[in-house]
Amino acid sequence: MHQGGGSETEVTWEDQQNINKFGRLNNRFHELEEEIKIAKESNESLEDASNELILTDEEVVRFQVGEVFAHVPKEEVESRIEEMKEVTSKNLEKLEEEKESIVAQMAELKKILYGKFKDSINLEEE
Amino acid sequence: MASPSPSSSSSSMVTERRGIPGAQFVEDVQTYLTQLGLDVNSALAFLQERLQQYKLVEMKLLAQQRDLQAKIPDIEKCLDVVATLQAKKGTGEALTTDFEVSEGIYSRACIEDSDSVCLWLGANVMLEYSCEEATALLQKNLDNAKASLEVLVADLQFLRDQVTITQVTIARVYNWDVHQRRIQQAAATTKDS
Repeated sequence: MHQGGGSETEVTWEDQQNINKFGRLNNRFHELEEEIKIAKESNESLEDASNELILTDEEVVRFQVGEVFAHVPKEEVESRIEEMKEVTSKNLEKLEEEKESIVAQMAELKKILYGKFKDSINLEEE
Repeated sequence: MASPSPSSSSSSMVTERRGIPGAQFVEDVQTYLTQLGLDVNSALAFLQERLQQYKLVEMKLLAQQRDLQAKIPDIEKCLDVVATLQAKKGTGEALTTDFEVSEGIYSRACIEDSDSVCLWLGANVMLEYSCEEATALLQKNLDNAKASLEVLVADLQFLRDQVTITQVTIARVYNWDVHQRRIQQAAATTKDS
């Protein structure tokens, strides 16, 4: 992460803390990307499920609860899926917001650290 | 659990957290090397070894985190099922479900109104609980798992910070050494000329 040309720029405790914070934010950023991917897939599955539901003409649908498939009347399944879609969308929104905040914080830190260390520090993705 | 370090070379730093040693922040490389009483190569070797130890602990913590992250959805699924059974209780209808007997093979079960459920506690033990007790127990397990996960995540963050500090210290010691050699070389050339 750091290459120096033998320069003598001093690293203060504050610098170290900034570097640590950047590392932490970067890790959280990658975790968030994973979580957002999973949330999007989940959303899609729910969409597909509710579309299938509209097409089907059965009155009783096998709805997965835990490890088993319970026989549930169609209307109840519809409302359950709507509920699940709401929860997933809200979750996705929250994750996207957190991601944006992290990207902004990382940009700030990059400015500060590059400002002090210029070429002696590398904060880009490998 | 964590206490501020009274050592001279760092301010408001944690010495260790739950068994993970804190990395000492170096204010000045020269002072650090004199304090350790080591030459540059030994110091670098020591720091590298510390880094390896941190990596080992990180792998262990990551494995624990994966386990917990798998456990939590399981408990939530169980809570779901118990809630479904409780909901059916009032109506007097039987709950028909299809369940997996073996891979790809399903069978139908008709679950009558019931006041109790059996919970698998592990170690080949299964206990019967009333629906309310089962919900309470599962909820408690879920809360514990989530709390453990939070502590684990904080541990990992602390660990990663110590890794970063150690990596920066290694780079600085190395750069200091290169700088020293350059100065010595420059001094030697001026002497000769």
